[in-house]
Amino acid sequence: MGMTNSASEPTALIRAQGLTKVFGARSAVDGIDFEVRDGEFFGFLGPNGAGKTTTMRMIAGVSPRSAGTLEIFDMDPDLHGSEIRGQIGVVHQQETLDMELTVLENLLVFGRFFGMDRASIATRAAELLELFQLSDRAKDQVEPLSGGMKRRLSIARSLIASPRILMLDEPTTGLDPQARHLLWDALQRLKRGGTTIVLTTHYMDEAEQLCDRLVVMDQAKIVAEGSPRQLIVEHASREVLELRFPNGTESIDTKVLEGIGDRYERLAERVIVGCENGEAAHARALEHGLDPESWLVRRSSLEDVFLRLTGRTLDE
Amino acid sequence: MTAASSVAPNRTRSRLAAIREAAPHPTRWRHVVGYMVTVYRREWQGSVFSGFIEPLVVLAGLGIGLGVLVGDKAAEITGGVSYVAYIAPALMVSSAMNLATSEAAWPILARVAWVRIYHAMVATPLNAADVMVGAITFIVGKVAFAAAFFAGVLLVTGIATSPTGALGMIAVSVLTAFAFGAPMAAFSVTQKSDQGFAFLFRLIITPLGFFSGTYFPIENLPFAAQVLSWFTPLAHGVALSRSMALGTPVTYVWFHVGALLLWGIVGTVVAIYLFRKRMLK
Repeated sequence: MGMTNSASEPTALIRAQGLTKVFGARSAVDGIDFEVRDGEFFGFLGPNGAGKTTTMRMIAGVSPRSAGTLEIFDMDPDLHGSEIRGQIGVVHQQETLDMELTVLENLLVFGRFFGMDRASIATRAAELLELFQLSDRAKDQVEPLSGGMKRRLSIARSLIASPRILMLDEPTTGLDPQARHLLWDALQRLKRGGTTIVLTTHYMDEAEQLCDRLVVMDQAKIVAEGSPRQLIVEHASREVLELRFPNGTESIDTKVLEGIGDRYERLAERVIVGCENGEAAHARALEHGLDPESWLVRRSSLEDVFLRLTGRTLDE
Repeated sequence: MTAASSVAPNRTRSRLAAIREAAPHPTRWRHVVGYMVTVYRREWQGSVFSGFIEPLVVLAGLGIGLGVLVGDKAAEITGGVSYVAYIAPALMVSSAMNLATSEAAWPILARVAWVRIYHAMVATPLNAADVMVGAITFIVGKVAFAAAFFAGVLLVTGIATSPTGALGMIAVSVLTAFAFGAPMAAFSVTQKSDQGFAFLFRLIITPLGFFSGTYFPIENLPFAAQVLSWFTPLAHGVALSRSMALGTPVTYVWFHVGALLLWGIVGTVVAIYLFRKRMLK
């Protein structure tokens, strides 16, 4: 395979151009372009139904594309699916473990699907159980394990054949905060070990914490691309003033809102104002006669980027 | 080389690659069998009764109980052998049918729709065809074990007269398992819940057990029902198995074997097609 890249241009493991997936009359993914480079932590951020999972399925070689080009390790998944899948670990949104088997058996069986011999599977399985803090549960059945443990086992299983790319679809959905942080730590360790990681998420903090680079998807299209910091600088102001109006924001005069900061978004019970200086903006709001029940000033986050780009919050 | 001349072989090559991607791999499917064996080692106690003991209970109950009732009249319909010897080889294939269909029902649906491990499996080097071929092979293998046990009992009790005949019966059970397991797998991979199974078992599988020559000769049925029977696999399995057990010559051997193989092969191809459709959206 062609590895003739200069040092300034790291190898792209995944390359998509005009990638499209159509279900009947509906476009789930509508002509998106992106590249995932060797060793990076890459994210697809967007609300449910934005096309993230479909994109992941196309990369994983389990969903034939409708149009566009897609290359993984310089190969077309339609023609070399099996070979590509052999070097990708996939963690699905819903658990796909065998609940009747033990933790260890789930790993052993899976290694065989990748054509590994039993001895190397056993060695690797022991390593992974250690890494994901499951060693003491190796002989236990999967069914009664907690959600966090099952998710860690799913990730361990996907890593059995030491894939070059690990793909995670909404990995922390449904986990409690502690389990979530445990998982984040494990993923960051993997990344440091050189694994390229691609994840989808609708959690802004997750994307901000983990991703080197991400694309924001909305309604089957990519609406922005960059590092979390870049996106915030490009699409949001330095600070954000949030004003709360429990009785609704419809009656507030647009002219007043325009005068407070650089830009604003009017939500049902909140007004979010992008500005250079939150304190000063708050003072201007009071001068204009606004009387919010409460207010706060914070640094801009990816959430504001998303709001700015789509006019919606992610939970809507 | 001009552009025009290089395009054609490329297109052929990529078409071949696409076919190779979709077709079963010569050996990869055995890992699916290996997986099912691991599962079976955990939960074999659950299926020992239905697979191994139940057919013997039915044979004892019907063969001895009904045999007394049928009495001397048995010879008229069986051509001179005892009633238990008449129904034993048929029960063996009908229990092969029962085991194959139930193994191709819930265990496959569960892996598609409930525990969803098939979704993880097609994301490995295995493809959908490997998974189906492996799943069907495991079912056929499991039936072979149960059939061997049953045949062993028939030999020991003297119901089966020759070891060759017993081996032949096992082969027929394996064919019958293939003929039922593969089409059943094709049905299961399309289902969202197990409600369709109740319908299928009550309306098709259970009646087949009665009207395929198991307990009385198929010639006793009205002509239309006879014709219908030969369109289903069980009647072919029963005819072959009985002749193996009793050492009587069977007419149209290849017609029976061919019918069973056809059901199995067409069932497998359809199962692969439908499973791909379900998994690769």
